[in-house]
Amino acid sequence: MSNQNNSGKRPIIQAPLATEAIQVRRLSDQKPQTGLAGLKYNLQFMRGRGALEIGVVLAVILIGYITAASINPSGFSFLNPSNLSGVISQAIPVLAILGLAAGILMIAGEFDLSLGPAITFNAIVFIKVAESFGLLAAVVAGILSGIAIAMVNGAIVVITKIPSFIATLGMSFFWAGASILMNGTTPAIISAETREGAMEFLFAHDFGLFRSQLVWLILVGSLAWLFMHRHRLGNHIYAVGGNAAAAQAISINPKRVKMMAFGIYGGLVGFASILIAVRTSSMQPGGTATEDFTLFAIAAAVVGGTSLNGGRGSVIGIIFGAALIELIKNGLILGKAPGFYITLFVGITIVIASVFNKLMEGKAR
Amino acid sequence: MSESLLRVEGITKKYGPNTVLNDVSFEIGKNEVVGLLGDNGAGKSTLVKIMSGVVDATSGNYYWDGKLIDNVNREETERLGVETIFQDSALVPQMTITRNIFMGREITNKFGLMKIKQMDSIAAEVLDSVVAIEGIKSPKQLVASLSGGQAQAVAIARAVHFKSSLLILDEPTSALAVRATEALLDYLRQLKTEGVSSVLVTHNLHHAYQVCDRHIVMNHGRKILDVRREDTTVEELTAAVVGGAEGIRQYREGRKGN
Repeated sequence: MSNQNNSGKRPIIQAPLATEAIQVRRLSDQKPQTGLAGLKYNLQFMRGRGALEIGVVLAVILIGYITAASINPSGFSFLNPSNLSGVISQAIPVLAILGLAAGILMIAGEFDLSLGPAITFNAIVFIKVAESFGLLAAVVAGILSGIAIAMVNGAIVVITKIPSFIATLGMSFFWAGASILMNGTTPAIISAETREGAMEFLFAHDFGLFRSQLVWLILVGSLAWLFMHRHRLGNHIYAVGGNAAAAQAISINPKRVKMMAFGIYGGLVGFASILIAVRTSSMQPGGTATEDFTLFAIAAAVVGGTSLNGGRGSVIGIIFGAALIELIKNGLILGKAPGFYITLFVGITIVIASVFNKLMEGKAR
Repeated sequence: MSESLLRVEGITKKYGPNTVLNDVSFEIGKNEVVGLLGDNGAGKSTLVKIMSGVVDATSGNYYWDGKLIDNVNREETERLGVETIFQDSALVPQMTITRNIFMGREITNKFGLMKIKQMDSIAAEVLDSVVAIEGIKSPKQLVASLSGGQAQAVAIARAVHFKSSLLILDEPTSALAVRATEALLDYLRQLKTEGVSSVLVTHNLHHAYQVCDRHIVMNHGRKILDVRREDTTVEELTAAVVGGAEGIRQYREGRKGN
């Protein structure tokens, strides 16, 4: 790096000050603040970036739920251990990992609407390989299948420059059909002998207070945070999603970065497919069971502050977004709301969250 | 003329049926400030993109230090030491100032993880050395929250920080205040003494005339004038930019007449 010695020199551009009373404050003179002052200083730059706002909403809902459950444990059994473990350890991790997949792709400026059918396809690959070749091969095959599907979608989008919305909408029908081609119309089933032991322990075990899925979320979430917010390649994903032309002018190849984002997306979807397959022990080709995941994953990302236009979003925000959606679902079920209310309320939450994010985007600094 | 740093020969660029640049040749000398002038649509920005390796020319040769460069791309020009301030599309608004300055050239450890604190403090130093514009609070600020002039200052700071042999500035002063512009022009003169050549692309002839040793005027994708400052006047440059080759002819005839 050609860092010439700047210190001590007069600034190259001396902009006029409005009045003599205003002092020029040199940025490099600012002392690093510690403790509470440092937290406050850093907090002002976190506003409007998604995670903070959604975290507050999440906390409010959690406090409300806990209060309601403490006052009336039998009427609103939120704190019941089996409910807690089902929501926090099962539903949230799967949606959060899918949300991270969709969110990372959205930060790069692309979508994939074939997420649901891809889950079915990956899960069937996983089940078939597990039945014939064992667990390790199956895990590798399931993740590779996810990456392969995403790379095919990605190549179509990147090479032809068709909007990813249309390209992956078309491919979603293709992958739904492909899973029927692979397994016929009968469901792929994990036999009890195959599931028992390592597979169940790794991907669906109930440890009492928590289940395996939660451990995976913490692991995947930490890696995703490190990659997106601290690794240079994650920085390139933000750059390309935010302004591909600017990134290209600084020798970042937008096509390569977008393909990488599709690959990461695919790997995460492949992994989530394994969690879903082990939990349900079966997968129906061309079925509708996984269809909802496509839009719920995108919803989790959007609720968590990810911009639909790319370049903006955070790992913590997305995990919070997934948690919020699952908590609202859970609250409605516990409150004995009729089934159709659930989609109604989740729908409203998503719209409100997007409006909220839009308002906050202006506050970002 | 001084020794050549960058020389382009017969550069032609076609976008479909449109010829944007037609057989353009010129050179940038070592320690030279060159003004690239022309009206909107003259092909200046395309030429800048080709010089900085972001866009491929349809045909033509690119020589650096007298050596032919076969495959001109951004990685290659970055290695040669070309740094460009692009008129548009320079920064990513959703990213912080630090991340914009180090975009694509992050300071990392051996695992590729960024050293954010170190980058923040260098960014603060670089900004201080380039701009004393009040209002930038921290290098952690998002570029979206900056004014046009502040954003331009960040783009200039980045180019100044990474420049090594050739600095190309595409309309760098469009959003800068008068005194900031003067200071930037002064800086180009100073760079020359430090052994850095620069190309100033502008349609403000008075800015160019002040600092450039040589002027290249483009018109409809062709080079119509390439003169040293001593051999021309602001009036002749104006005639060339406004009237093209015909404008130069009329100007010269008018002078003879007087």
